[in-house]
Amino acid sequence: MSYCVNCGVELDKTCSVCPLCNTGVHNPKQPVDREAPAPFPAKRGYAGPVQRTDVTLLISIVLAVTGCVCGLLNLFVFQKSHWSLYVIGGCVLLWVFCLPVFFHGMSPYVSILLDGAGIAMCFGIIAWLHPGNGWYLRLAFPLSVLTTVLVLLFAIWVRQFHGSVLSCSALALGEVAVFTMAVELLVDLMQKDPPGITWSAIVLTCCVIIDAALITIIRRTRLREEVRRRMHI
Amino acid sequence: MNKRLNDKNPWYRLDLSAIVYPTLQRRNFSSVYRLSVILKERVESDLLQRAVDLTLPRFPTFKVAMRKGVFWRYLEPNHRPGPFVEPDIVNPCMPMFFQSSNRYLIRVYYYECRIALEVFHSLSDGGGAMYLLRTMTAVYLRLKGYEIPDGQGVLALTEEPDPEELEDAYMRYASSKVRPPRSREKTYRIRGTKEPFYTLNIITGILPVQQVLLVSKKYQVSVTEYLNAVLLYALLEKQKADRVFRELPVSIAMPVNLRRFFPSKTLRNFITMVYPCIDPRMGDYTFEDIVVQVHHFMRYYINDKFLNADITTNAAVTRNPFIRVVPLFFKDFVVRQFYKRVQDKQSSAGLTNLGIVETPAEMKNYVERFDVLMGQPFSARTNCAIVSYGEHLSISFASSIVEADVERLFFRKLVKDGIHVKIESNRKTEV
Repeated sequence: MSYCVNCGVELDKTCSVCPLCNTGVHNPKQPVDREAPAPFPAKRGYAGPVQRTDVTLLISIVLAVTGCVCGLLNLFVFQKSHWSLYVIGGCVLLWVFCLPVFFHGMSPYVSILLDGAGIAMCFGIIAWLHPGNGWYLRLAFPLSVLTTVLVLLFAIWVRQFHGSVLSCSALALGEVAVFTMAVELLVDLMQKDPPGITWSAIVLTCCVIIDAALITIIRRTRLREEVRRRMHI
Repeated sequence: MNKRLNDKNPWYRLDLSAIVYPTLQRRNFSSVYRLSVILKERVESDLLQRAVDLTLPRFPTFKVAMRKGVFWRYLEPNHRPGPFVEPDIVNPCMPMFFQSSNRYLIRVYYYECRIALEVFHSLSDGGGAMYLLRTMTAVYLRLKGYEIPDGQGVLALTEEPDPEELEDAYMRYASSKVRPPRSREKTYRIRGTKEPFYTLNIITGILPVQQVLLVSKKYQVSVTEYLNAVLLYALLEKQKADRVFRELPVSIAMPVNLRRFFPSKTLRNFITMVYPCIDPRMGDYTFEDIVVQVHHFMRYYINDKFLNADITTNAAVTRNPFIRVVPLFFKDFVVRQFYKRVQDKQSSAGLTNLGIVETPAEMKNYVERFDVLMGQPFSARTNCAIVSYGEHLSISFASSIVEADVERLFFRKLVKDGIHVKIESNRKTEV
């Protein structure tokens, strides 16, 4: 039997270091037994997947029935306009939003892309019913795509790079600035005005100032720790 | 009694303690603890599965699923296949989602000579679950061909469950006319590096019972009081080593088995918490001072009067008609916030002592020892669980932080007091 020279406790014969103080075991009379079974297995366990079949079925049926019944009512009873398309579009969008709840292992990136497509589809239905001055292709569609890309970037930053609260805030503010500028530019293009930034410049300036402060805090370890200490909840 | 006996499909209200645990459920946390028995020979999985299948119908409150009502959660019998025995894993007490594993709230594992039972705390406390483990082990040994009689913790499978085994004993005994306030002072909390999800660090110390008894006797206290004092000492030393800006009291959350004070055969939860505490702001405490303080605290607070007042405070919440009609989601929100902001901050560590496990004498030839693990702590800290059987006293620490400072200080103190400690761990350590 081997004992830890620091702690004085007897160690299991399979222990190569003391679990209490991390001191290595060097016992020439009894080397570490690597053949004997360890006190604990090496296999890691994971909690089993949650069965959501019932909820999936219930929500899918409720949404499908709502869409179908409204479609039939629109076709045969209240035929004044194509109002049922709003309801059907809304049901499809709700179902797409619920996909991560239905399918536990679904990639969040795919989910965000589908959500973006769903929102673009809803705007498409509204645009088909109220074409206006081409607002869909000039404004709603590009903004839907841009929002999806920005949310996707944020998700990638959080999940792949494990961004801290500060870095996530900096990225979110940067994205807000880009989005505001895009809104102003696209509105200008739609109204056939020369593109330029006016009101979005105020948002951009605020975001740049806060981002600069955040990046400085992130890069200076001492400052970061100080902020953490003072702001902890 | 909460079981609806006349119904064909009985259901059970959650008992007073059980209400809290599901509200704390998170994606990465469940209130799950583990009891294990180490046999003297390797476990055969097919026999163990048969033992589980034979034993569980005798324990109806363990063969249940958690369901949500509008105002409260409840347990209903689970007739789905299972639970199935599985090879053991390195990270026990992992989260137990109510809708996975065929909705069972217990797990059974085997590894070499060990049979481990993991239980969601809403079903039972350690004392109740120990009956299930002992009966299951006895049935397993019988299937192996050994003669094991009933009694001394092994329940007869041929008997119907006694209605008292299924009762919420809190409601029977909560009768105090005064209700002590619940809120206490904020205490020192261990600062450590959080381990990644699905990691639970375990360090088990195996001690000779006789040596621990002798040392406790030397200090003129009981084993629980002595081990409590050692843990408080370790936490105080850790606080000193942390060089904190402002020292805080050090406190231990210790469940007390109420069956000792209020006769009940219940196999469900019947515990309440006491908080032995040392305040270093009053001056430097030597180990002897801590032992005396803990001894007097225990003698003063752990008696039927104080414990009755404590459970009456808890029972008042569920008896209040206005609280009863509040929807479950709102109760969940309030309870979770209260636990996170108040209750969890009232203790620096947890310590439970299941005491001496009794089994039929015939079983002792096949059982090496019992272990108990308090499970994943809610916040970054360490939990300590103690149980003794025969010659062995087992102390298991479970923590979800990288540092093992408290464990090291604790076991070093025992060694310093002349107790032989053998350590087993699942930690992956580097030289």
